[in-house]
Amino acid sequence: MRPIKIMAASGMLGYGFTEKAFNHGLSLGIDLIACDAGSADPGPYYLGSGTPFVSRIAVKRDLSLMIRGGTQEKIPVFIGSAGGSGSDKQVDWTLEIIREICNEQNIYPKVAVLRTELRPEQLVSKINSGKISPLGPIKNLNKKDASETHKVVSMIGAEPFQQALEEGADIVIAGRSSDAAIYAALPLMRGADPGLSWHMGKIIECGAQVIEPREGQDCVIGTIYHDYFTIEPGHPDRRCTRTRVAAHTLYENPSPYELKEPSGTLITKSATFEQIDERVVRVSGSKWEPSSTYTVKLEGVKKLGFRTVFFAGTRDPILVSGINNFIEACQTRIERDSKAIGIDKEDYMLNIKVYGKDAVMGANEPLRDQNAHEVGILVDVVSNDQDTSKAVCAKARYSLLHTDFPGRMCISGNLAIPFSPSDLSAGEVYEFNIWHIMECNDPMEPVRMELIIPNDPPKVRLNG
Amino acid sequence: MAKLHELAKVIRSKNAGALLLTLDIIFDNEEAYRTVFDSGVLSPRKIASLYNLSDNQVEIIAFEVALAIKITIPRHTIAGSPGDSDVYGAQQHAPLLDLEITSG
Repeated sequence: MRPIKIMAASGMLGYGFTEKAFNHGLSLGIDLIACDAGSADPGPYYLGSGTPFVSRIAVKRDLSLMIRGGTQEKIPVFIGSAGGSGSDKQVDWTLEIIREICNEQNIYPKVAVLRTELRPEQLVSKINSGKISPLGPIKNLNKKDASETHKVVSMIGAEPFQQALEEGADIVIAGRSSDAAIYAALPLMRGADPGLSWHMGKIIECGAQVIEPREGQDCVIGTIYHDYFTIEPGHPDRRCTRTRVAAHTLYENPSPYELKEPSGTLITKSATFEQIDERVVRVSGSKWEPSSTYTVKLEGVKKLGFRTVFFAGTRDPILVSGINNFIEACQTRIERDSKAIGIDKEDYMLNIKVYGKDAVMGANEPLRDQNAHEVGILVDVVSNDQDTSKAVCAKARYSLLHTDFPGRMCISGNLAIPFSPSDLSAGEVYEFNIWHIMECNDPMEPVRMELIIPNDPPKVRLNG
Repeated sequence: MAKLHELAKVIRSKNAGALLLTLDIIFDNEEAYRTVFDSGVLSPRKIASLYNLSDNQVEIIAFEVALAIKITIPRHTIAGSPGDSDVYGAQQHAPLLDLEITSG
């Protein structure tokens, strides 16, 4: 088997990479350029609303270079978790950018679009047959939960990418995808060792996190040989270090030893990491345990309503010293004042956080009884409709500003409000209600594949 | 006797998905790693008391190849749900910094 070289353009599509790294990488003879475009870290809003968390301009810049590189080297380009959460809306957003690029570069690539959003109804038969189970501390999914779901995506494995290549795709743009699968798909297809393929994918998916010096995102290259793989930076003046590569296996995973993927589990227990020269780290010993059932992770959100927020500070030492009692008194008053305008307690969620006290860690804060000289107060109101959340937030503002407290001297107002308007509408609010795994009959079950040539009407026929 | 932040190079927290929080303690030399590991201070009981959990909710994994100790615990709130204070889970490490490490 000849070595297989995969380049991860960046840790996140739109976070950028240097042209120097990219071009140097290409000069080494790359078999695939790929980039992950997603993360659930920014929270449920992005899946719920179908909004990307990176800018269109930044994504287009990265994609333009990747597609130009792919055309020039005649190698495939993969994008996983398009648009951030991989919903259909975000896949279409990415596809539109690709269409623009194809027009600009006057190219007619065959693009495989792998849509991985599911309809909530699709979950019901899976629930009935007991094929959906929690992924961590969350309750079992029932039919009611499924029907309340606003958006749900399945996180696909390597097989759909492989099928797209078999169908002749030049570019693959996928909905929610396992980060590592984007990079492991091609080596697995060519018969590379599965433990090495998945481990390599897992390491390069975060891009420059394994590179020193840390100067922002950049390209990183994984090369798979018969019984080991290497990790090196695309940039000729940067280096990968053994510590960074080894430590990366820890990052964002509950365990560094077992990493679950749709078709099995990567076991890194006996992996060894060696610095083979200043820039390159060699990894070997990673193992793969295939699983008997094929499972995909599901990520889903339900809509909770709309948010209005208010933020202000207080510098009054008397108020700061009794802040907990004060907030409690205000909460009672907000409830009463809201009720007086016809808004029941059940109609909204009110959270008041005191920055400078315990806003970041809540009950886990070891220093919550220590007094600061000033504190910030955040009011967060979520309700079914924007008007209700605005109304409750206004009551909260008034209450915090003007409620009496023992020893009060600052009777013209308790708060320093930093801007006008003081109350800010923060739009729709979603909550992750699905964080489960689903058994599939085959890897393509949760996927809808479409092959297109995204250029305005083809000026030349592709197949002569 | 030393504090954990005097021995470790990295003490960080981060989401491991929307339901779990993972705390990584990474050392730059084997001696410091050994001192902390052998002290037994990083026990499920100790972590549970710092994060208001029960012992069986805490998983501690030594990852010697990277001179690291990983602690995984449940989040109090699903990431990004109303009431959450740290959507990425990146600022939940502070209670670990001043842990007293008594050499075993």
